[in-house]
Amino acid sequence: MNPPAIAIRDLHKSYGSFNAVNGVSLTVEQGDIYGFLGPNGAGKSTTIRMLMTLIRPTSGSIKVFGMDLATHRAHILRRIGAIVERPDFYNYLSARKNLELVGRLSGADVSKASVDRVLGIVGLGHRTDSKVKTFSHGMKQRLGIAQALLHNPDLIVLDEPTTGLDPQGMVDIRDLILELSQDHRKTVFLSSHILPEVELTANRMVIINRGKAVIEGSVQDLLNNGRLKVTIETSEVARAQQILRESSVGNHLQSVTHGELIIMLERHEIAGVVQLLTSHNIPLSAVTPVRSLEEYFISLTQEVV
Amino acid sequence: MMLTAYRVEMEKVFSKWRTYIGFIALGALVPIIVIALGIEGQDYLNIITQQFGSQFDFKGNLINGYTVAFIIFAALYVHVPFLITLVAGEVLAGEATSGTYRLILTRPISRATMVTAKYLAVVTYTVLLVLFMAIMSLGLGIPILGTDSLLVLRSETITILAGNDLMWRFVLAYCFAALSMITVASVAFLFSSLVENAIGPIMTTMSIIIGMTIISAIDVPIFDYLRPLFFTNHMNGWKFFFDVPANSEGMTYAADWTRVAISGSVLLLHIVGCFVAAQIIIRRKDILT
Repeated sequence: MNPPAIAIRDLHKSYGSFNAVNGVSLTVEQGDIYGFLGPNGAGKSTTIRMLMTLIRPTSGSIKVFGMDLATHRAHILRRIGAIVERPDFYNYLSARKNLELVGRLSGADVSKASVDRVLGIVGLGHRTDSKVKTFSHGMKQRLGIAQALLHNPDLIVLDEPTTGLDPQGMVDIRDLILELSQDHRKTVFLSSHILPEVELTANRMVIINRGKAVIEGSVQDLLNNGRLKVTIETSEVARAQQILRESSVGNHLQSVTHGELIIMLERHEIAGVVQLLTSHNIPLSAVTPVRSLEEYFISLTQEVV
Repeated sequence: MMLTAYRVEMEKVFSKWRTYIGFIALGALVPIIVIALGIEGQDYLNIITQQFGSQFDFKGNLINGYTVAFIIFAALYVHVPFLITLVAGEVLAGEATSGTYRLILTRPISRATMVTAKYLAVVTYTVLLVLFMAIMSLGLGIPILGTDSLLVLRSETITILAGNDLMWRFVLAYCFAALSMITVASVAFLFSSLVENAIGPIMTTMSIIIGMTIISAIDVPIFDYLRPLFFTNHMNGWKFFFDVPANSEGMTYAADWTRVAISGSVLLLHIVGCFVAAQIIIRRKDILT
């Protein structure tokens, strides 16, 4: 059996009395697109910086492809391509020259054909010889992905890769991540503070908050299992409430406010409830299901904001 | 891997405009000085030999290529450290400022290799700048003004060095100058490892040089203990190649070798100390930019 692509155990990073990362453990299997989700300031970037050996952990262990990062740093980094936070480059050099320089340090093929190919993948084929100082943030983000791919790594670590991209750029990056996983069998570690971004690409995920892993598992299981919080908007709240109380889902009614009812339902129960209310001529203006994890994540995000 | 990292660093250093400021400055100043001394050199010589005029009769082509190279050496040597710190102070801190530490320290090279490669790039730049100064001074001075004896005036002594006894002195003096400038570069490099803004190391290094020079110039007994420790006090060691101690007159390769050795050793100690300290600092540094 292949060792995990990443195995982090009880990772801590403290700055004085402040714990930036406070006991994170997670396992990324080879071939995963692994969502590393958390609000801003949750400890995602600090964890990634420790994974990329930019900062030293206070305690804990990181293994990549079964090798200890502390003792096999060079060997491991040869197999990782990464964007860590902002995509910063040597602004006074061209896109091509930037890739050539960092590629050489990674032992990559930096022939013109190879560099052009990678720049073409990220949609920068027409700007290969432009100086990076003339690039927009979105173009730098794309160049960041190009430098992460240049040495053909097995594991790709992307820290907020769609930040600053326009909607089409975000779709392009998502498609690229899926292609890297499905067609090239790369493992992708995708850090984000946007749940839908992770949902659309990742197969497994962890949510991190205040430096701790809160929940880890399959995206499918975490997002689609369990009850949904369903908000029913109607002008006849009192009558709808009475009908629902007398039905089999009456116990799951959570709250009633002016113009809306909130009820916890299994996904398959929603259609039945809508049918029940319409059969009693209750006018419905909206039925909005919100997944409990989504709600939980939104609450985390709002807490930080 | 070291060679690859060194080549990468050299490409980065020589892709920056600031790297060429030193070459442009020397390339513009040296010809001006050579031409000016060629035109009005005799007047200049009369002024500086005024105090000896009644006792000595100066004959021959004394404003020659060697004399001009010597004058340029003494005049520009004070200012070259600033040109060196422009590059050496930026080489590590610049990566922090631009956020590109993240780009290079996530590669499969050790931090020690990266720091060494950067240091070697700075040393290369420094040596090239001194070499450029040498080539410009001697390369322009000798063809334009010819060769003859060199008159070295001190406050109380005059040393006259024959034209055929000078080239080796200049070669070694420029080597010593390179050592002095590498010391300045090493100090700037050390400060560059400490901070995340390139202006800091440049200003700090220049402040230290100015501060040490001022303290060295003040004739107060308490500073007598400090002066030998200041690297600035040993940077003028290149002049010892043009000193012929009284007891070695007539000997081949006569120079003040003892003082050369002492000053060279002090500079070397500073170089090694700064390099090792920078290595330790970068090795322990958390990259947060």
